[in-house]
Amino acid sequence: MKILDIQNLKTYYSTFKGDVMAVDDVRLQMDRGEALGLVGESGCGKTTLALAIMRLLPWNGRIVEGKIKLDDVDIISLDEKTFDKDYRWKKMSYIFQGAMNALNPVFKVGDQIAEAITIHEDVEKKEALERARELFELVGIDPERVISYPHELSGGMKQRAMIAMALACNPDFIIADEPTTALDVIVQAQTLKVINDLQKKLGLTMILITHDLSVVAQTCTTCAIMYAGNIVEYADIETIFKDPVHPYTQALISAFPSIKEDRRELKSIAGVPPNLLDPPTGCRFNPRCPNRMDVCTKEKPEYTELSDNHLASCHLLTKEA
Amino acid sequence: MNGEAGLKVVNLRKWFPVRKGIVSTLLSRKTEYVRAVDDVSFDVKKGEIFGLAGESGCGKTTTGKTILRLLEPTSGEVYFEGRNITSLNKLEMKKMRRKMQIVYQDPYQSINPRMTVFEIISEPISIHKLADSLAETEEIVYKSLEDVELVPAEDFVNRFPHELSGGQRQRVAIARTMVLQPSFIIADEPISMLDVSIRAGIMKVMLKTKEAQGITYIFITHDLAYARHICHRGAIMYLGKIVEMASMDNLVKNPIHPYTNALMMAVPVPDPTYEKARAVISGEVPTPINPPPGCRFNPRCSKASEICRREEPELLEMENGHFVACHHAI
Ligand SMILES: Nc1ncnc2c1ncn2[C@@H]1O[C@H](COP(=O)(O)OP(=O)(O)OP(=O)(O)O)[C@@H](O)[C@H]1O
Ligand SMILES: Nc1ncnc2c1ncn2[C@@H]1O[C@H](COP(=O)(O)OP(=O)(O)OP(=O)(O)O)[C@@H](O)[C@H]1O
Ligand SMILES: [Mg+2]
Ligand SMILES: [Mg+2]
Repeated sequence: MKILDIQNLKTYYSTFKGDVMAVDDVRLQMDRGEALGLVGESGCGKTTLALAIMRLLPWNGRIVEGKIKLDDVDIISLDEKTFDKDYRWKKMSYIFQGAMNALNPVFKVGDQIAEAITIHEDVEKKEALERARELFELVGIDPERVISYPHELSGGMKQRAMIAMALACNPDFIIADEPTTALDVIVQAQTLKVINDLQKKLGLTMILITHDLSVVAQTCTTCAIMYAGNIVEYADIETIFKDPVHPYTQALISAFPSIKEDRRELKSIAGVPPNLLDPPTGCRFNPRCPNRMDVCTKEKPEYTELSDNHLASCHLLTKEA
Repeated sequence: MNGEAGLKVVNLRKWFPVRKGIVSTLLSRKTEYVRAVDDVSFDVKKGEIFGLAGESGCGKTTTGKTILRLLEPTSGEVYFEGRNITSLNKLEMKKMRRKMQIVYQDPYQSINPRMTVFEIISEPISIHKLADSLAETEEIVYKSLEDVELVPAEDFVNRFPHELSGGQRQRVAIARTMVLQPSFIIADEPISMLDVSIRAGIMKVMLKTKEAQGITYIFITHDLAYARHICHRGAIMYLGKIVEMASMDNLVKNPIHPYTNALMMAVPVPDPTYEKARAVISGEVPTPINPPPGCRFNPRCSKASEICRREEPELLEMENGHFVACHHAI
């Protein structure tokens, strides 16, 4: 059984200019223990997808259609009370984009983690604090630092404290939204190692959201490429890098520089990201696609299953040979 | 000065006094300094792209600002096209600054949100009196928008920054710099939220103009994978000092300083078959207020020995054009 099963999910934001179709017909399934990299350019809907799963959408956001099942339970139709009591932060957890700046500056970090625990579980403050110390150790911070205030921690330590916080109630599914984007190389490598080790050690199922393909290459087992509210390709990590079939995936990979290759001219992806208030008809990538055909401007491509674990939605794949 | 050098930086220092509390003032304790840039020397040839890399807080931005005298140097000299610009007076410096520009690669901070694109780009034209009429100003603005591929230009001139995407804002900031036709640009990229398609596009725009105009560049970044493809030569900074300087090829393929080596190993590689990035050194850059004695990297260095804790290593040329400051390099 799949731990996460998302079918035809549509999540829109209402604005005075109309609906922003930020997640539009997403299908995604995950196995237990999978580490999925969710990749795509800024504004393509990655955070929105995460917020929909966590049921944390802002007031103007709503799930229009679709199913999200966690362990076969349809979590969209659960009432808020049950969802909050049994699911959010307990079975599933989320590390917000820019989370390290979300720590409350006037409270000690350990107290903030302990509070998160006491809200969700019936434990004494003292026991919760002890758990906070253990969590610090787990993410590689000296447990004595639980008495620090946020400003006394470096960026990398704050980010790790947020990871500890997300793990406070022992979830087995976590979403980390750009956890290393604001960190520099060495601290990023340290943080990724912590995430990698924890994911394996605790058998976590994880979605790692990022626009950095090299981070995904080194952390994830599978990868979903998102473009303008759609997931255009999904495969295991080797396949995504070695045999990408969607023109957007291909463009993204060739635009990404590697320190291991010789100096070359960096390519960019021509054109601009579409306006999600009024996305292109047919395939949303068609205005920027080098292989555009007539049908691409008219019909939305279906998913084609290329092999067991490799899906892509592109008309090139179904075109008569 | 030889004519080839576009820019020559000699023993540049920028120390910031640490603000003292009342108690220490009363007790007249010695003023402490943040040694943000501490005896940095390098030169950049005309038309060259020189990379300046290193962890957050190592002094990259301060070096850039001090070169342009947006911050007054504590000591040292900067020569630009043969002239010592550290001795220029305010008026002379203002003229010089037209040729020497800094572009902050953060599209959210570098342009005024209340001005239209037209106003943003035409402002430097009027400050430096580069046009005689409105028509001429318009011509320059439109041309610059086309140069950065914001076309058709008339679609953009009346927009405000919030009506532009991150990448488009960045191009406006570049266009604003380019109208001055500078011959030297410092491009300062803080840890960037921009994604790859936007960044590659911006690079392309900057380099295209470079080829057209033979501009000398200092490219400040923490992203070595980008620097590798953009820069000809580069320097790695640590706690206010250059620890290694070489061609980009040599920095990437034959790093000598243990810090450069650690940095290179920490860079993630977009290839899942590649061995996972390891955290090769622990800890973060210590504060530059009281840098460790001897080699500043010694507390984090696996090779550190007695001499490293005692004596500061000099930046020495190891082989042709490859400079390293490490006691264990020889
Ligand atoms: N509260 C909101 N109201 C209206 N539109 C919104 C809202 N939040 C996000 N959007 C829009 O929805 C789209 C998807 O946004 P989202 O934050 O999911 O993108 P993302 O892929 O996470 O981008 P990034 O990489 O920049 O974080 C964007 O076009 C964004 O402008
Ligand atoms: N105006 C200032 N007053 C005091 N200290 C300063 C000032 N500006 C910078 N510093 C300090 O000087 C050091 C170098 O800062 P700088 O901004 O040059 O680093 P950087 O290499 O550009 O870092 P980043 O990659 O984060 O941009 C830091 O320790 C910083 O805190
Ligand atoms: Mg996001
Ligand atoms: Mg800086």
